Amino acid sequence: MRAFEYVAATDIAGALRSARGVDARYLAGGTNLVDLMKLDVERPSLVVDVTHLANADPSLAQITELPGGGLRLGGLAHMSDVAWDARVRERYPFVSQSLLLAASGQLRNMATMGGNILQRTRCPYFRDTATPCNKRDPGSGCSALHGINRTHAILGTSEHCIATHPSDFAVALAALDATVRVRGESGADRTIPFTRFHVLPDAHPERETMLEHGDLITAIDLPALPFARHSLYLKVRDRASYAFALASAAVALDVQGGTIRNARVALGGVGTKPWRSPEAEHALVGRPATPATFAAAANAALAGAQPREQNAFKVELAKRTLVRALTEVAA
Amino acid sequence: MHASPALLVFHPDQWDPARAEQVRAYSRTVTPVLIPSSDPRAARYGVAGRSAVVVTDSDGEVVWRHISGSGALPKPADVDAALAEIIEAYAAPRTGWSRREFVGTVLAAAFALALEPAMTRAEAAAMATSHAAPGATRPVTLHVNGRDIALSLEPRVTLLDALREYAGLTGSKKGCDHGQCGACTVHVDGRRVLSCLTLAMAAQGKQVTTIEGLDDPMQQAFISHDGFQCGYCTPGQIMSATAVMHEPWGPTDDDVREAMSGNICRCGAYVGIVEAIQQMRRGSGGPQ
Repeated sequence: MRAFEYVAATDIAGALRSARGVDARYLAGGTNLVDLMKLDVERPSLVVDVTHLANADPSLAQITELPGGGLRLGGLAHMSDVAWDARVRERYPFVSQSLLLAASGQLRNMATMGGNILQRTRCPYFRDTATPCNKRDPGSGCSALHGINRTHAILGTSEHCIATHPSDFAVALAALDATVRVRGESGADRTIPFTRFHVLPDAHPERETMLEHGDLITAIDLPALPFARHSLYLKVRDRASYAFALASAAVALDVQGGTIRNARVALGGVGTKPWRSPEAEHALVGRPATPATFAAAANAALAGAQPREQNAFKVELAKRTLVRALTEVAA
Repeated sequence: MHASPALLVFHPDQWDPARAEQVRAYSRTVTPVLIPSSDPRAARYGVAGRSAVVVTDSDGEVVWRHISGSGALPKPADVDAALAEIIEAYAAPRTGWSRREFVGTVLAAAFALALEPAMTRAEAAAMATSHAAPGATRPVTLHVNGRDIALSLEPRVTLLDALREYAGLTGSKKGCDHGQCGACTVHVDGRRVLSCLTLAMAAQGKQVTTIEGLDDPMQQAFISHDGFQCGYCTPGQIMSATAVMHEPWGPTDDDVREAMSGNICRCGAYVGIVEAIQQMRRGSGGPQ
């Protein structure tokens, strides 16, 4: 690992000040950043430890009630704390499931809400400095387009990058229409709708989110959504546990009298960003909760898929994953 | 005194600095010396203009050499094996020292001598300093197993390396060093975490517990149920297992497997590990 300077910030203003104008990274759980620094993919000259910010403002690491029945997840709240929280499990089962099906018990005790949605792709070329990668080294080329691309994305890809977004939690957040709260250089809070938080790679895969340099995620707001009590995060992977998704689906359904009144659908493991599917939702709402409807929704969700040599199986896998998730939630 | 073995790495002028990190990982005990392959010393070892790794014994004789046409580096295990052989041979006549203590003691004093006759002491000293890490150390106090340990560390030192290489607590193991195997699991403020992905700086002010500080019937349960074979993953398995006791998992064997999926065992002692944890969870008596 390259040498770097380290500072532990004691308040948000201090953290923002430290990060200003230098090649700095915020350190929370460290599960992604320290790993990538060891691989020489991340090369910050300054690491700003933000874990002590919760001493000055405990809500940064807590789960708090929002007016109207929503929940605010502090940016420094740990994955394990949110996953096991009784309110999260009751109101948003798919959020809890997406967290518990990700990483390992140790990693979930370290990784935070803010860090989770900023985690970088597991594309092996991104993680290997010996190979070209437009995301790591803009303009150097994409090794995955004609390389080993079994785990890569089939939705939202470009000719410059087909790296899959790795987060499970972010898929549930996309389905939920969550909101990211950010404190920037101005010192003022602003909010970013979650479905717009991540950006498609297009010609600039090195840019992954709407954040500006130095922005700090202070919280993720989960809106009240009563029918999310009937939700599921279904994850399909190479191992039974402790693996990234090949395909996953976050689904919430409001079914009354056999008819789907409202639906939320997002896919994971197949997109360059957490993949909300308004096409699938459109194919569900107002229709009977039947296998035919679910199949039509799955076809709609994957209509724009652009598979490569090794990942064509994901088209069918994602469809079946979504159909099964819808079937289980509607049951 | 005698010299000690040396690890010489000859590299092209245009060299990815990341490779230097890889090379440093070859040995935790012998510091590799990086030498441009255009340097006249490369010719002395028959590797002029090539990428190569050379291991010399305490007399400066080449005992192992890896020359790469493609620039690929040799496998760490091969380098380690070559070093281990001559270090054991050299250490053998002495008694009362562990291999780790022995190597640690001779290294600092013998580093320059090691390179003779291929390199003068002055040359060796220059090589060593020119490749030293630029980061400055700073005082760090870790609270480990109930006592304070004062260390002087660079910010890039992980908690795992601080424990193993600086505090002498080698019970926590380095497996993958990337948060994928669980061998380095320790408790920080009572929760299981991976010490290989925790910066030592960030662990200040927190209560760290390692396997050396653990006194828990889970340890006997692992023994009673043969929850290990080679034992390398065991400290991490046990630290993880004792933390699982305080996490809200369901009662089944599958719940244990899911809870413990971040601890890999290459020997495949999983059956015994699940039995040990289930015995503790059921509270069905102490050691057999």
